[in-house]
Amino acid sequence: MDPLFSQTVVRPPDTLDRIRRALIGSLHVNLSEEDLAYETKLDETVGLDSVAVLEFVAALEQEFGITFAPEMLTIEVVRDLSRLASYIDELLARSDIREP
Amino acid sequence: MRADRKLPESVANSLPTVEPPLVTFNDLLWLLYLYPVRWVAGIMPRSFLYAIGRLADPIVQFYSRGRKAKAVPWIADACRVSPERANSIARGSLSCGLFSLLDDLLFLRPWSKDALRCSGVEGMQHLESAVARGKGVILLAGHFPANRLAGQYLRARGYAVLSLRNRRATNVAEGRLGRRFLRPRWIELQNIAFPDQVDVRDPECSLTILRRMRAGGLAALLLDGRPGTNPVEHLFLGRPQSIPTGIFQIVRLSGCAVVPMLCVGRSDGFRIRFDPMLDVLPAPTRDAFVSSNLPQFVTAIERQVVENPEEWKLWIHFLARRW
Repeated sequence: MDPLFSQTVVRPPDTLDRIRRALIGSLHVNLSEEDLAYETKLDETVGLDSVAVLEFVAALEQEFGITFAPEMLTIEVVRDLSRLASYIDELLARSDIREP
Repeated sequence: MRADRKLPESVANSLPTVEPPLVTFNDLLWLLYLYPVRWVAGIMPRSFLYAIGRLADPIVQFYSRGRKAKAVPWIADACRVSPERANSIARGSLSCGLFSLLDDLLFLRPWSKDALRCSGVEGMQHLESAVARGKGVILLAGHFPANRLAGQYLRARGYAVLSLRNRRATNVAEGRLGRRFLRPRWIELQNIAFPDQVDVRDPECSLTILRRMRAGGLAALLLDGRPGTNPVEHLFLGRPQSIPTGIFQIVRLSGCAVVPMLCVGRSDGFRIRFDPMLDVLPAPTRDAFVSSNLPQFVTAIERQVVENPEEWKLWIHFLARRW
């Protein structure tokens, strides 16, 4: 597994891949040099520029076609990969149920 | 990335660290402000507090005479006024900052809302139509101290306004007493007086603003604030300045409306003006969005400053902080 996502999470690989794509695209993470965990990378980037996390959230919303609920727009949710992936899966499942 | 992060550790360690003095004159002024003056403000009428302000004003003017003299040519150029008039504007700007500090103390009173005397609100329809869009509103503002009064006034009328503050602003004139004791106390009091604020250094800052926008709420952001990590150089009042771009990203990513807001005066008589909503131009990328919209954002604030130069407090702070 990519070291960026070295945490033990039981998620559909597709969700993780797509989160990674959003992260790379929005925060311009250089994966070739990476040996940092997801949280560390996000903290490092957001610590320098808090607006960067907005870019990441917007990229996630675009990638998955979802909208975060206001109460989930917190740094705790975004930096916890497992929780973030669960939440996205939950939103996707809800949208599947609604669709005929 | 900040410059100090680029320094190799060996170089950074070899740099001399200058220990500030225990107490500076600046600390003494803050000590007076935070204790005896604050206590007086809690029990005495506003007129008494303003009388203290009038007594303190000559001291503040004398203390800042050097920085004031440096600001005069810029003021004269930007406002197209004579040096004498520019000097008067510099004096007025300092006085305005002083009286706004005294007004801040009034907000520590439990009945502070009653202390607000608004003498007029112009352009309320612009704010109402922006709120009606339902995507939140950025109140674009400059460093006019009375904007805090506008925030309190709007809150009392059902428009909660989130504001952004740099609670850890550096102060080169402070000593160890100021750094370790007075500044934390001041931050604590600011949090009490203005609870609906988010610190610019809080990693949660931009998400807090986004939450407010998605709830259809208001946030007052300063275009002439301290530049963050991705500032752009742009002429501001005739001189190149670093303009923070975070505000543009929030507008781009939230789709919120932008309404320039200006408040001038003191708590015993202030006026609020809302200008028409800015016509935000869409752009596909972060940089393109900034390039497309920066000029109109800057023009809106420059106009406010030139029309009310005595009320803008950064003529002198800009000089001390950035040059």
